[in-house]
Amino acid sequence: MARVRAERQPAATGMTLVVMVGLGVAFLLFMALLNVAKSGNLLNESNLLYAALIFYSGAATLYLGFGVTGTPSYIRFASLATWAGLLANTGAVAHRWYEAGHPPFASIYEMLLSFVWTLAVLTLIAEKKYGVKVIGTVTMPVAIVGVVLMQLLRTDVHPLVPALQSTWLHVHVTLAMLAYAACALSFALAMMFLIQDRMTTETFLAATSLFSMATYLGILTRFEKWGGLSVVAWNPQEKSEVFIAKGVRLLVVIPELGWLMMVVLAAVAAPLVLYLLWRKSNNEGLLDMANRAVFVNILLQSLALVFFLLRARDGRYGSLDAEGLFPTSLAASPFILAGLVGGIFVSLLYLLLLWRRTDLERMLPSADELDRITYRTIAIAFPLLTLMIAAGAYWANRTWGSYWSWDPKETWAAITWLVYAGYLHMRITRGWRGRRAAYFAILGFAVVMFTFFGVTYLLPGLHAYA
Amino acid sequence: MAGTIHQAGRKIWQTLSSTKTGVILLILTVVVSAGGTLILQRPVTDADEMQRAYSPQALRLLDTLGLTDVFHAWWFVMLLAAVSLSIVAASIQRFPNAWRYFARPYKSPDDNFRKALLFQQQIAVPDEEAGLSVAEKVFQTAGLKPERIVRQDSFSLFGERNRISEMAVYIVHASLLLIFLGGIVDAIYGWRGFVTLTRGEESSQVQAQNGSNHKLPFAIRCDGAGQENYADGTPKRWWSNLAVVERGRVVNTKEIVVNDPLVYRGIRFYQASYGRTGKVDKLLLTATSKTAKGESKEIALGLNETQSLDDDTTVRLAEFIPDYVVRDGQVYTRSEQLDNPAVHLMVSSKKSGKEVNVWMPALPGFEENAASRYSFEGKDVQMAYFTGLEVSHEPGQWAVWAGVILMSLGLGVVFYLVHMRVWAVPVHDARGQLFLWVGGTCNKNKDVFEQRFRKLVQEIESGIKVHSESGAQAPVTSMAGR
Repeated sequence: MARVRAERQPAATGMTLVVMVGLGVAFLLFMALLNVAKSGNLLNESNLLYAALIFYSGAATLYLGFGVTGTPSYIRFASLATWAGLLANTGAVAHRWYEAGHPPFASIYEMLLSFVWTLAVLTLIAEKKYGVKVIGTVTMPVAIVGVVLMQLLRTDVHPLVPALQSTWLHVHVTLAMLAYAACALSFALAMMFLIQDRMTTETFLAATSLFSMATYLGILTRFEKWGGLSVVAWNPQEKSEVFIAKGVRLLVVIPELGWLMMVVLAAVAAPLVLYLLWRKSNNEGLLDMANRAVFVNILLQSLALVFFLLRARDGRYGSLDAEGLFPTSLAASPFILAGLVGGIFVSLLYLLLLWRRTDLERMLPSADELDRITYRTIAIAFPLLTLMIAAGAYWANRTWGSYWSWDPKETWAAITWLVYAGYLHMRITRGWRGRRAAYFAILGFAVVMFTFFGVTYLLPGLHAYA
Repeated sequence: MAGTIHQAGRKIWQTLSSTKTGVILLILTVVVSAGGTLILQRPVTDADEMQRAYSPQALRLLDTLGLTDVFHAWWFVMLLAAVSLSIVAASIQRFPNAWRYFARPYKSPDDNFRKALLFQQQIAVPDEEAGLSVAEKVFQTAGLKPERIVRQDSFSLFGERNRISEMAVYIVHASLLLIFLGGIVDAIYGWRGFVTLTRGEESSQVQAQNGSNHKLPFAIRCDGAGQENYADGTPKRWWSNLAVVERGRVVNTKEIVVNDPLVYRGIRFYQASYGRTGKVDKLLLTATSKTAKGESKEIALGLNETQSLDDDTTVRLAEFIPDYVVRDGQVYTRSEQLDNPAVHLMVSSKKSGKEVNVWMPALPGFEENAASRYSFEGKDVQMAYFTGLEVSHEPGQWAVWAGVILMSLGLGVVFYLVHMRVWAVPVHDARGQLFLWVGGTCNKNKDVFEQRFRKLVQEIESGIKVHSESGAQAPVTSMAGR
C-alpha cells in the first residue's frame, strides 16, 4: 500500500512543494530586503546570517519533502538552496573574521557560526561525493537550530582575553569543529545503517525515548527545591554571564519550571515503559499507545520549550547564592535550549521513520555501502581528533606551562579518542562490521556530545571559554 | 619444572598480548578517567570547596581510596603502565608477520596463491614478451612500481605501492609509547611551581606545587611588568620584563606575555597573573604647617620611609591599609584592593622625642591628629604591582611532541595509504593457449581497489589489442574469468 502511494504521489504533487518553498524564500528575502533598504546597510553579518537562515530553511523543507515523498527533483533544488545558504554563511564568517581580526572561534556564538558552516559543507560533500542524498533531512534542521541559537546569543565582537590570543587556539578549535562535524556525520550514517539493516521501528522508539530522557535528566540536574530550575544569570549591559568567582557562574532559580520539566520527563519516559511492557506481553495495543505517547510528547516538549522561552527570555529571579533579583536570558542557557529543541527534533525524526519507513529504505544507499561510508567518515574524524588534542596540548603548554593537566575537557577528549580507537581496533583486527560497528559509532558520538556540551555544562574546569 | 615456568610465561604472554586484554584495559582506563572528572580532584580544587561538596566521612573515604587525586594515584599510573605493556606485547606478537610482508615481499606467486586470490583475470596474449611489456607499462602508469622477476624457467611481473602501509600500525603504537615515555619522564623529573616578583625583585626560590621550595641554579629578576586594556576595560595583555641572572651576570632577558614564555636551561617562565600586592609603592602627601601660615610641602613616602618636614619634625609612613575596617579596637584590612584606604603616619619631634600618631582618615581611638604640628592631605598613591610567574620544567616534552608528529604521520599512512600488490604471470591453459594471468590484492579499502584492478585489466587488454593490431595477425582476445 505504502509503496503504491509513494510512487503515485510524486507525479501528483511534483513541483508544488518546490514552487511553494521558492515563493516562501523569495517572499522572506523580499521582506528582509525592504527592512534592510531602510537601514541602508545591506551586507552586514546579521543580514547574511538571516539570508542563510532563509535558504537553509528552504533546503530543509525540500530535503524533508524528499525524505517523505522521494521526488528526485526536490534534491536538486534543496542542494541549490544549501549552496545559496552556504554562500551567505561564508559571507557571515568572513565578515565576522574581518571585524574581529581573528578567526571566529572565540565564543559559543562564533563556534556555532563555524560549526553550521562546516555542517553545510559536509552535507554537500556527502550528497555529491557519496550519494547519501537524504542526509540533508537530518543536517539541515540541525543547521537551522544552530542559526536560530546564534540569533539569541551575543553577536558583538568581543575582545580576546590574553590566554586566547594564540594561533594554536585557532588551529585547535578549527580541528575540533571539523572532527566533531565528521563524528556527527558518522553518527547520522550509522543511524541510517541501522534503518537499512532492518532494525525494528520499535527499537528506534525506545532509543528516541531514551535520548529524550537523557536530555531532560541533564536539564533536571539544575532542579532546585520547591520545583524551580536554575539557570545562569545574565548581565544585559555587558552581555555576559554573571560570575561570582573565577569560573563559578551565578545561578538564578526560575520557579515552577522544574516541575514542568519533571512532568515532561515522565511523559518522554512513557514510550520506553510501554515498549518494555510490550516486549513482555506482546500486546500490540501497548505499542500503539507508545506511538501515540510520542505524539503527545512532541506537544508537551513544545510546551516546555515555549514556557522556557517565555520565562527565561526576560524577567528577574532570585538566587540561592546572592541577595536580590537578577535577570537571565536565553543566551545564558544555550545548552538547555539546544536540549529542548533537540528533543523535539529527534521525536519528529522518529515519526518520519514510523510513517515513511519504506520510502526511506528505498532512498538510502545499501546497508553495506553505509557501513563502509561510516568507517570512512571515522577514518577522517580520528586523525582530526588526534591533531585537535595535540594542538590543544601545545597551546596549553605555551599558556599554562603544561601540556596535559587532566582537566575534565582534556580527559573527555582523551576518552573520545579512546572510544574511536576502540572502534578502529575492533573493526580492523576483530573484523567488526555492520550493527556492532554502528553501535560503536553511535557510542562515539554520544561521548563527543558529552565532551562538547556535558563537560562545559556539568563539570568544572579550565575550558571556561567554551 | 622449567617446563611449567615456561608454560606459565607463555600463558601470561598470550594473555597480555591479546586484543581482549587490551580492550579490557582500555575500558578500565576510560571508566577510571571519567570517574576522575566527576569527582572533584584535590590538586585543582580548593580545600574549602572539597569540604563544602562532600561530607567529612565521604571525603575521608574518597581520600583513602585515592579517588580525590585519581590521575596521580599509583594505581592509575600502574593502569597506564599495563596499557603500555599490552600495546608492546600485542605489537611484538603481531610484528613478525607484518615484518615478513614488509621485508620480504612475495614476488612470484605459486599456483595455490593464484587460485585463492580474490581479484584476478586471465587475458589472452600473442606472446609472453608482448603481454609482460604491456602489463609493465600499465603498472608503471598506475604507480605500481613494476619489477621483472626472473626465475630459471619463467618470467613474471610484480608491482606494488605503499608497502610502508604494512608498518603503519606499529608506527602509531610506537608513537603512543613515545608519548607515554615523555609523560613518565615528566612525572618523575619534571616539576611545576610559582614565583611572585615585584619590580626590581630577584629570586631563585620557586614555590613548587607540592608546597616545597625549589632552588633554581640561577636567579630570575623582574625589571618591569604591566597590563594593557581594551577600550572596554577588559585586559588585553599582561607583560613582564624578565632577566636571568647567573653568578651576578645577566645572561638572558626577555619580555614575556601570556602564550610566550621565557625558556632558560629547560626551565620555562610563564606570565600567569598580575595584580596589586596591596602594598604601597609611593604615597604622595601635602603637609601643611599649622603654625606658620600657608607653609605647605609636597612629600613622597614609601612604607617605613622617613622625611623631615622642618629642622625639628620628621614624618614616617608607618602603615598603609588598602581596605580598612575597624573591629574590636584593631584596624584590619579586608582585602588587597585599594577600596577603602587608611594611612598611618608617625610625626616625631627630635627635640622633645615625642611621637604623634596621625591617621587619615581620622579614626577615633587611634588618631592624635590634633596634637600634630602639621596637617596632611593625601594626593595620590602608587601601589606596588606583582607579576606571577608559573615555572615549569618538563624534560620529557620533546618525546611527547616527537610522538605526536610521528602519530600524525602514522595515522595518515594507516588510513590513506593502501598497500597494493599486483602480479602478472604468463600461463598456458589446458589446451596450450597462452594467457597472461593478472592478479592483485590490497590491505584495506577492497571496494576501491576492485575498481582500480578492473581498470588495470581493461588497460592491459586494450594495450594488447593495440599491440597485436600493429603487429601481425594474432588470436582474438578471449577471456576467462577466475
